[in-house]
Amino acid sequence: MSAVLQTHGLVRTFGGFVATDHVDLSVQAGARHALIGPNGAGKTTLLRAILGLVPYDGKITVNARVGYVPQRLQYDRTLPMTVLEFMALTLQKRPVAFGVPTRVKRRVLELLDAVGASKLARSNLGGLSGGELQRVMLASALQDDPQLLLLDEPAAGVDIEGEATFNELILKQVRERNATVVLVSHDLSVVSDITNHVICLNRVLKCEGDAHDLLTAETIAEVFGGGKAVFGHHHHHH
Amino acid sequence: MLEIIANYFTLDWQIPILLSVVCVSLASGVLSPIVVSSRMAFFSDAVAHSTLAGVALGMLLAVDHPATLMIGFGVIVALLIATLRQFTTLSFDTLLGVAMAGSLAAGVLLYHKVKGYAGLHGYLFGQVSLLTWTDFYALLFNASLAILMVLLFGNRFLLLAVSRPLAQARGIRVARYEFLLIILLGLVVSLSVRAVGLLLVNALLIVPAAASRNVARSVKGMFWGSVVVALISGFVGLFGADYFGLPPGPAIVVVAVALFLVSQVFRPLFGHHAAEA
Repeated sequence: MSAVLQTHGLVRTFGGFVATDHVDLSVQAGARHALIGPNGAGKTTLLRAILGLVPYDGKITVNARVGYVPQRLQYDRTLPMTVLEFMALTLQKRPVAFGVPTRVKRRVLELLDAVGASKLARSNLGGLSGGELQRVMLASALQDDPQLLLLDEPAAGVDIEGEATFNELILKQVRERNATVVLVSHDLSVVSDITNHVICLNRVLKCEGDAHDLLTAETIAEVFGGGKAVFGHHHHHH
Repeated sequence: MLEIIANYFTLDWQIPILLSVVCVSLASGVLSPIVVSSRMAFFSDAVAHSTLAGVALGMLLAVDHPATLMIGFGVIVALLIATLRQFTTLSFDTLLGVAMAGSLAAGVLLYHKVKGYAGLHGYLFGQVSLLTWTDFYALLFNASLAILMVLLFGNRFLLLAVSRPLAQARGIRVARYEFLLIILLGLVVSLSVRAVGLLLVNALLIVPAAASRNVARSVKGMFWGSVVVALISGFVGLFGADYFGLPPGPAIVVVAVALFLVSQVFRPLFGHHAAEA
């Protein structure tokens, strides 16, 4: 197995605040990693650095096509745009105002179908519920057949009943595509549902290891600093 | 109506005017959805106001074509605003307010030094009836540039309008496209000022898409709706102004706003997007 993602001495500071301090990571192909830690621990920052969205010191090597599901996207909900048009924006050169060719339509429906959202193609992007939006974001992240999926709180905004289904959906896509996953979440049920390897981050790397071994009361208390985090539900064995 | 149009063409000098208005309408119609979606409305207004200083400076320096300096000035102010934005913690609208107030005041001072207030209204409200073939060629270039930019980068501008971080994560060099949009708007606004005037040019960049957004449920609907509203406003405003002996610039804008009001009335029939959340 080879590493699809490596960071070496990753430091990201802004305004004198050190968000990540010399983080060394190595993510092997096919692994499903969770980044956990309290708010402000630098999880999202680490992901954004990997995506090249923020400047950083240190070294990051990515050897994979990357798909990214952002954390609860803030966008202009009054913009008239169908889900089909939104997905087509990055799939075709022709301006979507001039229509979406059949080839692209087919591809979009295929991607939406994979996340159980093909009925949303004609819906307005602004009218989607939290769960629907995350499905569309996942479908959109799959468009380049990613080998590495970066998920930032993918279930944020998904209602509790929908969450388990959504987690299964992610896992199914990951397995079918044999993709590597790096997931950021502070929802430990999402972490235990989807990933098998946990990285605890609180600006510095606190601990790392198998999800079953690490997701214990002591580690959680240590990482989160107060032991406030509680499991949403028990482990599923997939 | 047909009679008014037929009458219009009996005078040769009116043909470049009509064609110029078509070009201005096309340019604003295709760009309006991007300006409105990217929340650049106030920005283009600031650029429009700065062009007066360019014209005045041109006259002061006795340049042969003050209009050239006007366009250059518009683009320079656009770039200046874009640069300042990187180095300030002020909100964008505050920065634009400062730029607009400053450049307009400087423009009026400079203009006053050269000409007093004579002819100032022409720059404020446009001088459609004075447009020549030369203006038409400039405006044709303007419209072609706007259409070309939408054809080439329309999707990227839109994704950027949906979400900057998402566009960035998709590998779009967002700073580059924001810069490009700013230069494009700087050019288009300055080129259109002579026709519709600096107080009205911005209306043409906002009202068409504002109207079409009311009833459109897709990008396609918003885009073509905007083009149609801009063209109808151009034609009806021009011919109507001719018929009633009114200034065409404001007439075009009034027609556009009237269409917006109609779209607002019909809005409940079409759009039920714009969910809360």
